[in-house]
Amino acid sequence: MRLASWRDFVRRLVHRPEGLVGLVIIGVFTLLAIAPWLFVGPLETVTNASGRRLEPPSVSHLLGTDNLGRDVLNLTVHGARISMLIGFLATLVTIVIGALLGIVSGFVGGRTDTVIMRITDFFLVLPTFVLALILAPIVLEIIGSGEVLGMRTTLIVIVVVIGITSWATTARIIRSQTLSVKERAFVDRARVIGAGPWHTMRVHILPNVTGLIVANAVLVFAGAILTETTLAFIGLGDPFAPSWGQILGASQDAGAPGLGAWWWYVSPGVCIVLVVLAFTLIGGALDDLLNPKARRRR
Amino acid sequence: MGSRYLTRRILQAVLTIVGIVLLNFVLFRMMPGSPERISHNPHASVAARAALRERWGLDKPLFPDQFIDYVTATVQGDFGESFKFKGKEVTTVIAGRVWPTLILFGLGELIAIVVGLILGAYSGWKRGGPVDYGGNGISLILYSMPYFLLGMILLVIFATTLGWFPTAGMFTLGQTYSSFADQVLDFTRHLILPLAAVSLGLIGQYSILMRSSVIETRGEDYVTTAKAKGISESRVLRGHAVPNALLPTVSLIGINLGFIIAGAITVEVVFSWPGLGTLTQEALEARDYPMLQAIFLILAITVVLANLGADIVYGRLDPRVRT
Repeated sequence: MRLASWRDFVRRLVHRPEGLVGLVIIGVFTLLAIAPWLFVGPLETVTNASGRRLEPPSVSHLLGTDNLGRDVLNLTVHGARISMLIGFLATLVTIVIGALLGIVSGFVGGRTDTVIMRITDFFLVLPTFVLALILAPIVLEIIGSGEVLGMRTTLIVIVVVIGITSWATTARIIRSQTLSVKERAFVDRARVIGAGPWHTMRVHILPNVTGLIVANAVLVFAGAILTETTLAFIGLGDPFAPSWGQILGASQDAGAPGLGAWWWYVSPGVCIVLVVLAFTLIGGALDDLLNPKARRRR
Repeated sequence: MGSRYLTRRILQAVLTIVGIVLLNFVLFRMMPGSPERISHNPHASVAARAALRERWGLDKPLFPDQFIDYVTATVQGDFGESFKFKGKEVTTVIAGRVWPTLILFGLGELIAIVVGLILGAYSGWKRGGPVDYGGNGISLILYSMPYFLLGMILLVIFATTLGWFPTAGMFTLGQTYSSFADQVLDFTRHLILPLAAVSLGLIGQYSILMRSSVIETRGEDYVTTAKAKGISESRVLRGHAVPNALLPTVSLIGINLGFIIAGAITVEVVFSWPGLGTLTQEALEARDYPMLQAIFLILAITVVLANLGADIVYGRLDPRVRT
């Protein structure tokens, strides 16, 4: 798609109520994720906690405090940074693997296709969450803890693990679209004038599956946020870079529900639900725009 | 007939299981580590180390010798000893944790399927009505919510604040029961909240799918024909639209099992339900690899078999796929 048609596409998306609501929610959280300190100051830790332990919401601590006296609003806003970043990177990894395998599989066909699709089927039927669960500690043992490019390895491991366990659906979808694009006349013409397979895939196939990739990426993002949340909740998060899931996990470990300290986990929980809901809404709107035939369904 | 379809599906499932066993073998041998590290003695002599390696079969080549040993042990249900539960066989520990999970998730899945399908069928049939709007909105929110969050919210409202239900476990600790009925009652009181969390979490998915599926069949010619014959609305829905709309949900139930497991683990953790989920978390915390390996294998094979079951049922229901 060209720039003009992209602009038109976004305009049509914004005109749908669910598309607009979704985009606004994501926009707000992206803003929080880019510069959390502008809104709530630096991340509070044990040493610079601003309150007493487990204070209920009040004027000075709008969303209360956790068991170390840290402001929950502060944690939640900073959590947006970690959660959204992991979600974004994991989506990127998933989409790159999925789209690459899908396009190559569909375009090249033959034995390559069979092999890639067998592997895809294997990953589709596998309970990928459980795989992610055992993969994370193993990968962490292999690469060790520390920092790479300013990002903690625990977080990178989560990104990689989500990426390699969730690309299969994307590969399937992109492959079937590639199969239909491949049959169109301009692909034949390109081949006749001597274009190589990589050139054809990059210049002729990729632009024609981009819409589908975007629609799929939106849903993958929602799934990635949920997977990260769940992994962090059961203890694979990083206490020094708390994501929403990590905050939820810490509150569960400290017995917050039993202590009645609902404020500790309700705010990050609401954020997770809002972000996942927003992506689901956008995904639905995109699906409608890309498949006008199915529009009557809604 | 459908025997070729059946054979192909079974063959695929077997190949997948072989793949899982292979993956399990490779994954856990990729990890850095050696007998010296596990035996916690860096000063062990060369001879002692060699003896250890020989005892654990690590002096043999990885493939085929170690692999064959591994497969033989796995087939016999021998996953070695747990790191965390000292001296206990992994299989024994897991066997003790299977029933609570089966009860919780079997019941949860059942309730979710019944309620979700009814809710979805009704909202799809009366599209745009109040039930549709309300139901669809709630389904979307439930669908976006991690199971454990739902559990934590239910827990703080109904157990901590209102005190209607116990907060954790499967039975009251240290309680002696005067009768079997008493014990069942206590168990039920512990079961209700986690069960609610599981079924509410699942209802959203089933009702969303059933809704769109019913909406699709609603436009079909046979539904129009049935209506034209003067059959009542509710009989058209029950007799014509729903049976056809049920098809996609059958495969969803199979596919879903993989995702349910993620929910299973976390809901159990929230309510300290003594099933496979809490066991997974405990094993993860203690980095109890033999245990994790066994859990992965069991869960993965269960999911493959469930998918196979769903495929077979689907093939029975829809003759078109029997190719």
